[in-house]
Amino acid sequence: MSNDDLKSQPADPTRRKFLLTSGSGVAASLVVGYVPALARDAAGEVDLAPTAEGPNIEGAVPITLRINGREHSLRIDPRTTLLDCIRETVTLTGTKKGCDHGQCGACTVHVNGKRVLSCLNLALMHDGEEITTVEGLGTPDAMHPMQAAFLACDAYQCGYCTSGQIMSAVALLKEPCGTDDASVKELMSGNICRCGAYSNIVAAIQQVRKNV
Amino acid sequence: MTETSTTSPIGRDTPRVDGPRKVTGLAQYTSDFLFPGMLYGVPVEATIANGKLLALDTVAAEKMPGVRAVFHRANIGRIFRSTPAPGFDRVCEERRPPFEDDVIQYYGQYIALAVADTFEAAKAAADAVRATYAKEKSNVEARLEAGHDPDVVFTTYGPVPREQSKRGDPEGAFASAPVKLDETYVTPAETHNPLELHATTAIWDGTMLTLYDSTQGVVNARSVLAQMFGLPKENVRVISKFLGSGFGGKLYPWTHVPLAAAAARQLGKPVKLVVSRKMMFQSVGHRARTQQRMRLGATREGKLVSLMHDYVYHMSMLGDYHEDCGEATPFHYSVPNLRASFGRARRNIGATADMRGPGAVPGLYATESAMNELADNLKMDPVQLRLLNEPRLDESNGLLFSSRHYVECLNVGAEKFGWAKRNPAIGSMKRDGLTLGWGMAGAAWIAGRFEAAANVQLRDDGTVRVACATQDIGTGTYTILAQLASEKTGVPLDNIEVELGDSALPDGPISGGSLATSSVIPAVFKAADQAIASLLIIAVTTPGSPFLGHKPDDLALEGGRIFVKAEGPGKGVPFGDLLRRANARLVTGSGSAEMTAFAPNPKFSKHSFGCHFVEVTWQAEIARLRVSRVVTVMDAGRILNPLTGRNQIQGAVVMGIGMALFEETIYDPQNGAPINSNLADYMVTVNADAPPIDVTFLDYPDKEINELGARGIGEIGLAGIAAAITDAVHHATGVRVRELPVRIENLLV
Repeated sequence: MSNDDLKSQPADPTRRKFLLTSGSGVAASLVVGYVPALARDAAGEVDLAPTAEGPNIEGAVPITLRINGREHSLRIDPRTTLLDCIRETVTLTGTKKGCDHGQCGACTVHVNGKRVLSCLNLALMHDGEEITTVEGLGTPDAMHPMQAAFLACDAYQCGYCTSGQIMSAVALLKEPCGTDDASVKELMSGNICRCGAYSNIVAAIQQVRKNV
Repeated sequence: MTETSTTSPIGRDTPRVDGPRKVTGLAQYTSDFLFPGMLYGVPVEATIANGKLLALDTVAAEKMPGVRAVFHRANIGRIFRSTPAPGFDRVCEERRPPFEDDVIQYYGQYIALAVADTFEAAKAAADAVRATYAKEKSNVEARLEAGHDPDVVFTTYGPVPREQSKRGDPEGAFASAPVKLDETYVTPAETHNPLELHATTAIWDGTMLTLYDSTQGVVNARSVLAQMFGLPKENVRVISKFLGSGFGGKLYPWTHVPLAAAAARQLGKPVKLVVSRKMMFQSVGHRARTQQRMRLGATREGKLVSLMHDYVYHMSMLGDYHEDCGEATPFHYSVPNLRASFGRARRNIGATADMRGPGAVPGLYATESAMNELADNLKMDPVQLRLLNEPRLDESNGLLFSSRHYVECLNVGAEKFGWAKRNPAIGSMKRDGLTLGWGMAGAAWIAGRFEAAANVQLRDDGTVRVACATQDIGTGTYTILAQLASEKTGVPLDNIEVELGDSALPDGPISGGSLATSSVIPAVFKAADQAIASLLIIAVTTPGSPFLGHKPDDLALEGGRIFVKAEGPGKGVPFGDLLRRANARLVTGSGSAEMTAFAPNPKFSKHSFGCHFVEVTWQAEIARLRVSRVVTVMDAGRILNPLTGRNQIQGAVVMGIGMALFEETIYDPQNGAPINSNLADYMVTVNADAPPIDVTFLDYPDKEINELGARGIGEIGLAGIAAAITDAVHHATGVRVRELPVRIENLLV
């Protein structure tokens, strides 16, 4: 499969597609060391053999990410996760890495308006799609209502999970969710806050929901 | 947010001054600092827990695209050992430098480091390194038996006698006590798991080493790293602007820090090393597993006559860390005969370390659980048993308490919770088809101060800068420092700049021991006083000043305005006006205050106290256990910021729910690996697990600590909560779980 084919795939972060296209994290050595095996995948969908090109990154591929309304034309290692691409390449570091396994929620961003764990997605899977990070919601002088509510309710402590919490909270506003606190807590349970500011997080979200 | 200049910000709900940066993603944590030409380091982890590294095959890894180097013992360059220093300096838990020898002491020990242009290339290279070992059997046995230690053992914080406290004849009094309890309580290895991964970015610039490091102590980290690289202290700078918490795990440098620094030295480029979540279970510390035998003897009326707290904890082969479970035991209750003693069991595991409420949190789980069981044996209310054994003074040393309101905590908590309605019969209380369990427990934590220095500037634009090389780990230190500067100068919080998290600033305390806030208060106040004194000299000497002819003593600063005391603040002049008239950009003041915690001859016994009342619901049909509400009362001195303070205590209770019901690091007996080394298998409390938590602060100032009477609240909220939860579980189900965490299978009887 060529890079163009990869780009043309829809953004559908299902488990199967992730497994087929993953080249990062634990699987990274497999991609480099045993490319032929992966290339023979039954579905015939995967061929991530790096090609020798690019000054610093061998096998780099071109990609255009639309983040917070701005286009970024990049050349990246195809193994790069959306999270690492946003942080290290695009240098928007508001999105955090807490586990790299999709278990903590700190890396939550929006892709086409829906919340996505950016550590479980390769950047290549989102070529051309609308990505929003916490920096795209608001600034200290012009905060998104959810950001303002988090500030007012003290809905954090260390602040490390906060970007992910806020991205999930903003996405939740458009998701089917009961009006009670228990429903909010259920839908926010993919975002770990090790400092334990959960009561205040729920309060902040409910404050915004009441005003929507 | 605007404060009126005449109103004190102390004790008021104050949203965090760094909050706007945190909610917009602009707060920069260690791994958010990016530098031109920065390389990425990924360590290679040992896959055995005991043995020797025989060979490393790095050839394939070194040839991979984008790889700059694969470092190991032969090419990393010298890294010296950091040795213990007197006082609170140069603390670190794993003193063997990385790659110093080929002996593997725990699974995940770093054996090599791949450095590449990108994280992806570095990770691939690290995975491609092949190691050959001479493997020996590893001991990660969970059951603990004390090893052969001398009567006094050397620990991270100095020598400790293994019989740490003794009075009377505890054995004899226990033998003859009419009512007895003899039970053993077990707490598991727990992993801190702050959400921010440990990270270090090292930059060498000529002779200067700069480390962006996720540390709870920039000053200590500077000392440790200076010694490890044989540098004068002034040639090392450690920066930690925002910390994604630490819970003790980031107090002192771990081995990845010198690794990043050494790699940057060898390559002449900035090197960033982010520890993975899996590595965070292996190589950056954990709370020790403990096994605590409690023997309590009492009269039939419930008066304690003997208390023996004999415990064993596990520790690494390399470490000195002491898990001080007996910290609160000697003073918490009145009992004439008492012993607290410990033994240690070495294991092939990574180092043990301070974790939120170290020692006291597992210790109070055991002592408070034992009190609850004793109350049961006595057929007495557990609150009543505690009230009956309230001490008049600290019976371990005969000192009066600086401020102790434990009885009031118990009474207020019982009242708010509705404890009087408790029917003690097991499973007797129901609501909406659920069985209710009510339980309670007490809490205590140390109080005092670390050494601290600070600097305060008053500037000609009317703003104030306050600086201190302490950190904000999420506790709200940025805001506390701003509140303190505002309190002294009357300048609103909006016009106060806070600088912290940089070892180039005046030496500040570690963010640990719940002592940072109490420590910085006198230092900031003295610094502000000195800056104000400079200002008043300018006021009486500057040509054209309305205060010419006055003495500095005649003047005062309030609400940001200088005025003649006799005339009152109405005719005051903004200090910025005066500075501009004097063509002075700023005046500056420095202040410092000494360490009082752990002082050899204290005048008072200084501690915080508190209690928790917990309700659980139990649905026997589907074995569903939930914590449904918590009432917590804290006697923790004066609370400077109740908004962030309540959050701190609620957060600690949330962590306590994890301690009671979810958290345990499990070691695989086959290879010694912490096998549940991820956030799906090491469960922590999530939003849906967290109940409403009602927090009350008694707010009695403790003037023995500092002029504001503030102690610290970062840890005490976690003390006692697990005992309260297991007590509630017993009340609902009739099952006493004495080994944490409570598992559903424990309750299927």
